[in-house]
Amino acid sequence: MAINVNTVYQTVLLILNKEQRGYMTPVEFNKTGAQAQLEIFENYFDTLNQQIRIPQTDTDYADRVVGLDEKISIFKEFGNATSISSSNVFNLPLPYTGTSSTLLMVTAPVLTTAATTQYVIGNNANNNTVTAEEILNSEIQVFLNSQMVLNTDYSITGKTITFNSQPVINQNITVNAYPKEFYRLGNLFYTNNAIPTQELERVGRGDLFHLLSSSLTKPSTTYPIYVYEKNQITVYPTSIVNGINASYIRKPLSPVWNFSVGGSNQYVYSPSSSFDFELHPADQTELILKILLYAGVVIQSPEIIQVAASQVQQEQTNQKS
Amino acid sequence: MPRPDGGLITETNRQYYAGAQQKYITAAGVGQTMTSTFDTDLEFGSSDPLNGLYGLNNFVLYTSPNALTWTELTPATTAQTATATENNAASNTVQLAAANASILAGMTLYGAGITGNPTGRKVVSVDQATFIVTLDGTVTIPGAATTPVLFQFDSPFTMVGNIITIAASLLLNSYLKIQLKETPIQDNHGSYEYTRLNDVIDNFLIAYVGAGKLIPSVKRTDVIFHAKRGLQEFSYDTLKSIKSQELTINTSLSVIIPQDYVNYVRLSWTDAHGVQHTIFPANTLTTNPYASPAQDNLGVPTQDSFNSNITGTSQIEAAWASNDPRRISGAFTNQENITSDVLSPGGFYELALGQRYGLNPETSQRNGWFTINEREGTFSFSSDLANRLIALEYVSDGNAYDLDARIPKMAEDALYAHISHGILASLAQTPEYIVQRYKKERSSKLRNAKIRLSNIKLDQIVQVMRGQSKWLKF
Repeated sequence: MAINVNTVYQTVLLILNKEQRGYMTPVEFNKTGAQAQLEIFENYFDTLNQQIRIPQTDTDYADRVVGLDEKISIFKEFGNATSISSSNVFNLPLPYTGTSSTLLMVTAPVLTTAATTQYVIGNNANNNTVTAEEILNSEIQVFLNSQMVLNTDYSITGKTITFNSQPVINQNITVNAYPKEFYRLGNLFYTNNAIPTQELERVGRGDLFHLLSSSLTKPSTTYPIYVYEKNQITVYPTSIVNGINASYIRKPLSPVWNFSVGGSNQYVYSPSSSFDFELHPADQTELILKILLYAGVVIQSPEIIQVAASQVQQEQTNQKS
Repeated sequence: MPRPDGGLITETNRQYYAGAQQKYITAAGVGQTMTSTFDTDLEFGSSDPLNGLYGLNNFVLYTSPNALTWTELTPATTAQTATATENNAASNTVQLAAANASILAGMTLYGAGITGNPTGRKVVSVDQATFIVTLDGTVTIPGAATTPVLFQFDSPFTMVGNIITIAASLLLNSYLKIQLKETPIQDNHGSYEYTRLNDVIDNFLIAYVGAGKLIPSVKRTDVIFHAKRGLQEFSYDTLKSIKSQELTINTSLSVIIPQDYVNYVRLSWTDAHGVQHTIFPANTLTTNPYASPAQDNLGVPTQDSFNSNITGTSQIEAAWASNDPRRISGAFTNQENITSDVLSPGGFYELALGQRYGLNPETSQRNGWFTINEREGTFSFSSDLANRLIALEYVSDGNAYDLDARIPKMAEDALYAHISHGILASLAQTPEYIVQRYKKERSSKLRNAKIRLSNIKLDQIVQVMRGQSKWLKF
């Protein structure tokens, strides 16, 4: 469930070129596309804050809070926070490593083989490879002869892809890994084997002193608390040194409209090395309008800017009123 | 009786009544786990009865081949004897005389004949074909032809977070049983009468807090605070949370105030028939001075070299301890002894034994007196109570121990109302009429809770009222 990057690019080009206003290169599109996507994504949280304070209707598909939650749910993650040196200080579940995406990795065997459903992810032509942990923290795309395979048709354990059923043989398998980036921390949970899971409460450094000193509200393993500083989580009571899990939001991955050069030196869309917009399909119109807005700036067309801005404004008014 | 099926009862009948949970072993092997589903959390110190921490366990783990004969799982019950056939060379392997499939990795090697016994060396692997045991370090088996050795799991099981992991090997089709000790079983009996404070807090956050509700958001610590404060307040006059201790008054005529004491309900001495007789406070008769500074000739308190007042022994307390309470109550049977009756110093001895004109009921009792000695943190008693068996009934605040942190279901709604009112009253933007509404709601629900917990039963009232037409004789 994503917005096809090629559809968006072609629509943007179509509108831009309608009156021979100009052309937007793939590089410009990728940059403005990422910017527009982030803008819409950021807006989710402010809109949610506004909508949550307004009584909603529970009629199917009309509840805006539910609708927004559906859009945000694409980016919701849940993972284990790792303790630093067995202390009560934990790293975020997904520390941003800064590595760029690794594309077109091959598998072993390279081609789909008879009576084989398991394939191990190797490196790409540039000898780039990923670890099992990086795979776990990445958005993975698998292609068979440049056709993307639905992620429900396979599972990945460590670096091994297991197809649910035997794929057609002698197809090229390629794998793209796009590292996810941490965006916002949600709730933390403490689990100690069969003891019921407890939610941690976030407190500020100022409250911490009073809470630790208070006999009635001091943190316990039943009601633990944490301080969030410098991308690290410090949990109280200090006896908690493992079993911390976090729900969090990750950033949307930047769209990529990749291409090869055709016979007439034209750009030919390359789906197996491109990456779609991750936003909910409901935001496709707004996304195109926002890209058009930036495209208007790029090609210096005030008309485009004006039309796109007014369309965006109208859509947002409609969504929030 | 139904099994737990998603209702509030989560323990089986066996767990509740017998404190036991059983598991059938469907696959033999080591490292098996058993998850405790008792309402009581398991506490674990050690799986070795010889270890000092074993006493911390609130359960015992048993194994059985047939669910009829149970054997406690201890290091001794995992022990396997064998014969080693090594010579004097130090080696990390031990050659056994015969195969023994029950010798497993993780076991510790022992043997009186081994140099440095107990060796502490653990088994890494066992080759059942060659009878060679590989250890995690070297040992020296004496040069004798055969040396008896013993292998056992020093820690046959561990427990973390209510999951027991068995290091020892369990046999196919055998049984494993967690048996709670007597105290946790008894603590659990009757627990359905209560809701845990944790549940109250969680339920409150779910049902009363959220977008579109009167409390849109609240810190969980605020809810915890109001819940615990509510429990404290309710404990004093609403809940059936009277605790009691059976004590004997020794010759010092005092007993230490209980650790979780907040206020007393009643002190009574018990006679040979077990009937209680209320001991009264000596409010107007005497007191325990908080300080008794030593004074100089001018009456000025004196100080020691650390600039603090020097304190002496309280003479008031000494005088009270040596007093015969019958001089107060006048309960003498011998007329000659009453001449110094403190309440009839003029020698109105003929008025003794309750015959005095204007009998003072406050002092006319013979069950003794007590005072609270705040300086020493004790209850002090009059001398006639020496060596008596007493019952001290008192209230705590419901927050002293984890087991206390629960609320009778009869008062659960009152606690929700208390928390709601506490939070709304402290929120700046709450309209005053909302605060007042919740104040009334709290008050009426608390009243309901008090009535419910008063245990007024129709049959009992009827029984008492049957005496309504009895003639009263004076």
